[in-house]
Amino acid sequence: MAITTSGGPPSITSAGSARAPSDQATPKRAPGARRAEAIAGYLFVAVPMALFLILNIGALLYAVYISVWRWNLRTGPVTFLGIQNYLDVLDDPTFQRAVQNSVYFTLVWVPLTMAIGLFLAVVVNQKIRGQTFFRASFYFPAIASSAAITTLWIFIVSPYGLFNGIRAALPLDILGSVFGFPPNQNWIHDQDTALNSVIILNAWTTSGTFMLFYLASLQSIPREVYEAAAVDGAGAWQTFRRITFPLLRPGHYFVATVAVIGALQLFDQAIFGGGVNGDPNNALMTMVLYLYNQAFKQFDFSMAAAVGVMLFALIFSATLVQRRLFGRDPEW
Amino acid sequence: MTAPAKATTVPGHAVEVHPVGGRPRWRRRLAYTILIGYAILMFIPFAWSVITSFKTLPDSVNLNIIPQPFTTAGWEYALTKLDPPLPVLFVNSAIIAVAVTITNLVLGSIAGYAFARIRFPGREILFLVVLATLMIPDQLRLVPVYVMFSTIGLTRGLGQYVGVVTVLAISATTIFLMRQFFLSIPRDLEDAARIDGAGFFTTFWRVMLPLAGPALAAVAILQFQGTWNGFFWPVVLLQDPDHYTLPLGLFSFVTSGGFSTNWPPLMAVVVMSTIPILILYIFLQRYFVEGIAASGVKG
Repeated sequence: MAITTSGGPPSITSAGSARAPSDQATPKRAPGARRAEAIAGYLFVAVPMALFLILNIGALLYAVYISVWRWNLRTGPVTFLGIQNYLDVLDDPTFQRAVQNSVYFTLVWVPLTMAIGLFLAVVVNQKIRGQTFFRASFYFPAIASSAAITTLWIFIVSPYGLFNGIRAALPLDILGSVFGFPPNQNWIHDQDTALNSVIILNAWTTSGTFMLFYLASLQSIPREVYEAAAVDGAGAWQTFRRITFPLLRPGHYFVATVAVIGALQLFDQAIFGGGVNGDPNNALMTMVLYLYNQAFKQFDFSMAAAVGVMLFALIFSATLVQRRLFGRDPEW
Repeated sequence: MTAPAKATTVPGHAVEVHPVGGRPRWRRRLAYTILIGYAILMFIPFAWSVITSFKTLPDSVNLNIIPQPFTTAGWEYALTKLDPPLPVLFVNSAIIAVAVTITNLVLGSIAGYAFARIRFPGREILFLVVLATLMIPDQLRLVPVYVMFSTIGLTRGLGQYVGVVTVLAISATTIFLMRQFFLSIPRDLEDAARIDGAGFFTTFWRVMLPLAGPALAAVAILQFQGTWNGFFWPVVLLQDPDHYTLPLGLFSFVTSGGFSTNWPPLMAVVVMSTIPILILYIFLQRYFVEGIAASGVKG
């Protein structure tokens, strides 16, 4: 999943060409041999390329085509509509709610999870005993399926679940006394708290993954930089603020891109928590859930395809914007 | 974008970069407190699901750590009374995950080798196409892939398995990781084989593939785990409950009225569906961590 995001087109280019030419080492061969080599090459990549061309590139074009028709599950294409489907989607209050939810989720979840991931990485990167154990523990929640972990979470934050149980056992219940939540608050099925419950859930499951990304990035910072800082008498916090944090720029870029793309695609947790409609009252409706709902509940394939095309455009531009914000290619 | 897919990124060899400042003991104690506290926080929910699966329904809302009484009724219920039955879900998940892992290993190693070593016109452009597919979100592909597959019968009967496996058969990440690995192997070895008259496939099969163990292991784990846990394509392409995978089964249990708060059997399903991955994680933890870090950093 990671390189999913290897960023916009520019970094793809660099990945593609960077390594290519180690070939020149081998001496020139006869044209016949070269042809045989080319044929072998095409045969070796034939099946994957066919699948990619049909199920990825082909699907992209086909989605655009479907999105300009009135097209549902049973009938197939009926009438040509042009951009009407896009206008209808943008006009639909449910879709607007979905965009709102997805944007809110992104704005809260991304910084929160990045901060936890970075914090864990810096702590685990210290000279400590049991480093491997801690790293493995923090990554642990990421190995289970979203289905299993969301089911478990729904149980934990249910009215009589572990979370409310612990609240009751604590001497001070801030959520109750300050925010006024009842002792048996139904966190994931209450429209005011549903989305925030999912944010906490995903912060818990994903912070370990971000920690691994940050750890890899931390290790690319040359040791001499820290030695110099130590000589200059910089304290721990100063070292972090003035050296580690800015030097992690490529890491920030990479993690932020992965995070934003993941956040905009929120689906599994939403449909488990709130069903196909993102209940209650669309509190868990996300852009992808809306797309799924259009396709398999309303059976309106063209509307669903239009949402897919817009999502693609959104993710693509989010990647480009981040590239601008965080500067160029990651240095790796 | 550097050298071997592993080596450079093994977080196991974390370097202690931070100078231990003025009051080391104080800072160290704080660090351990945070680390241990957070580690416990990571495990509690899972421990809770195991405990709950051995409780009775009335007891499942209590905070006691030892089930009172201890019962396997939840597990028996999960194994025998669910519809579709848990063993069926388990077998379906296994079939699909194993098939996808195999196709990725086979197609990915062959194509990765070709992109790393064989020269043919258009190679760089084709590799760019492979990487470009990473930019296309699955959700965009939902409708077109579903329409294509239903036209050719891959959304009915056994075709449903074929459909899911086909759409997941090869990922660009697999090809990328395998290519990176083959680029890191010195050319001399295969040159020797080629001079001895071995063809491209023989060279790949006899000389290169036996060296690729670690890369194949990382790919296999990444793909098996991803497919075993996957929800999106199964929920789109598997229409028929007899073909459901574990995540899909869980979804139908969670959203079905009567069963959705019968916590002990529900937690039994959660535990059961996580066990295979947990076993892999315990024994092959290194590959998980390396695979994630490598695929990340090499982006």
